[in-house]
Amino acid sequence: MIQYMILQNVLHRPLRTFITVIAVAVEVTLVIIVVGLTSGLLLESAKRTEGVGADIMLQAPNASMFMAFGAAPMPIAIGDKLTQLEYVQAVAPVFTQFNSVNGLDLVFGIEPESFKQVSGGFVFHGGHDLKDPDDILVDDIYSQAKHVKLGDKMYLLGHDWHVAGIVEHGKGSRLFVMRDTLQDLAGAKDKATVFFVKSDRTDHTPAVADEIHSLLPNYTIRQLKDFVSLMTSSNLPGLGIFINVMIGLAVAIGFLVIFLSMYTTVIERTKEIGVLKSLGASKAYIVAIVLSETGLLCVLGAVAGIALAFTTRAILLKLFPALTVLMPLKWLAIASAIAVVGGLLGAAYPAWIASRKDPVDALAYE
Amino acid sequence: MEPILKTENLWKVYRQGKVDVPALRGVSIEVMPGEFVSIMGPSGCGKSTMLHVIGGLARATRGSVLLDGNNLTEMSDSARTLLRRHKVGFVFQRFNLLPTLDAYHNIALAQHIHGNGFDPHRFEAVTSLLGLSGRLKHRPSELSGGEQQRVAIARAIISEPKIVLADEPTGNLDTKSSDTVLGLLRSLNKDLGQTIVMITHNPEAAEYGNRVLHMRDGQVVDGISIH
Repeated sequence: MIQYMILQNVLHRPLRTFITVIAVAVEVTLVIIVVGLTSGLLLESAKRTEGVGADIMLQAPNASMFMAFGAAPMPIAIGDKLTQLEYVQAVAPVFTQFNSVNGLDLVFGIEPESFKQVSGGFVFHGGHDLKDPDDILVDDIYSQAKHVKLGDKMYLLGHDWHVAGIVEHGKGSRLFVMRDTLQDLAGAKDKATVFFVKSDRTDHTPAVADEIHSLLPNYTIRQLKDFVSLMTSSNLPGLGIFINVMIGLAVAIGFLVIFLSMYTTVIERTKEIGVLKSLGASKAYIVAIVLSETGLLCVLGAVAGIALAFTTRAILLKLFPALTVLMPLKWLAIASAIAVVGGLLGAAYPAWIASRKDPVDALAYE
Repeated sequence: MEPILKTENLWKVYRQGKVDVPALRGVSIEVMPGEFVSIMGPSGCGKSTMLHVIGGLARATRGSVLLDGNNLTEMSDSARTLLRRHKVGFVFQRFNLLPTLDAYHNIALAQHIHGNGFDPHRFEAVTSLLGLSGRLKHRPSELSGGEQQRVAIARAIISEPKIVLADEPTGNLDTKSSDTVLGLLRSLNKDLGQTIVMITHNPEAAEYGNRVLHMRDGQVVDGISIH
């Protein structure tokens, strides 16, 4: 009986119901996409760093694991010392520069031979490895997203580059240039941002890490086997705050829309509330009706929001193939729960005033 | 036999701004089980207020209201709500059916609120008695005034209340529908022993009851038995 009544109440004002459901759907989509984009960005970045093939990543003291944040260059001579350590098979010093013009890209300046020894070399979709100072390699995803072809000229970091090769994605960066050229452009000759170290055997990696720590006690040493798990929003300055603020805004949207919708509903149905009270409906009964209607609207909104999120992701990936948008089931559930809880909180006051209406006044309401 | 309804020196005073307006001024009445009492009076004499107070919708300012042995004036709002649920059925001038529900669910709602679940036998008996069997799937907007009032009566009696309080039940009906509704109320009283208190300003409608009480300026001025 009560389910039928709630359904009929919701259908009675189709436009208001539709707008309320859409507002909740937008709230849910916002949460899912924001979390999906940020976690996708982090995961994709982490996987590419792991994809270099190194066992250890050495950076300057207090360096962020996100190489885009701060160059913090180290003397390249450190690489020679690392090579002499026991169990070290290869060392690849890399100099990085962050490009924020026409996109956000981290450029790896490499020495092709040492990078090959650590990574196992590139898989080429076309072209060849870096030879000339102005050569640039782009990965296949960058090539597709930016419509870059073999032989093209690229203007990046204030310099003209020649696209010498298109490589398989997943080796730390999407863009690779000669390290010397990049150092000259940055005015950082004989500097490296990170040293990728490969052990002769995986089980020797902890020992290598200890050796490096003894050699360079204040430097940041990370074993890459755990790198993906380290790439969380809590490790990126400000990202956790950003996510929480976006979620808070989404909740506020849902709360306010539901508050307004149920408030006008209660006002409109004042006489009906009087009738229910004349029949002996308790305050709890009245509150239950209002909150149940809200729950139904929020559930419909959550379902629509999840569908809208999948649609949004499909559109984003079509427009920006280099993006990763993660949508784990856990966050679909969290976003839906946030919508329902926020909606119920928004409906609490209207439900309370509905329950407290004087039946005589309510019956006389026109 | 104890009266089903008894008021003693009943007062109801409304505060309008800084002025106290007495709607009921010391009303004392008794209604015995199985009676059909009509309360007549001009507009503003306190008839509706009387109905609201004895039905537990409003609290008396002073005096007592005993409904089936329960003193409403000493009860909390939630206690009066509970009493109303089990012992009182209301019929209103403007029917007051829920517009989003069809006739079936408008009547079943009362059973649902009552808390004893849906009783199909009782439901069938009441809707048949009131001639509603073919109209149950229609919403109020699809029913005539007379049909809507019959649905309202069905809703009022479906849970076997001790007393039915009817507030100008024919006020929005034409003559023919009024006669039908009043006839139904009379037959509920005569055949099923339903206690009814009906307020009306129509002397012809009042004669459907077996006793008429006249009200003026918040007081019962006289009462006559009809049959």
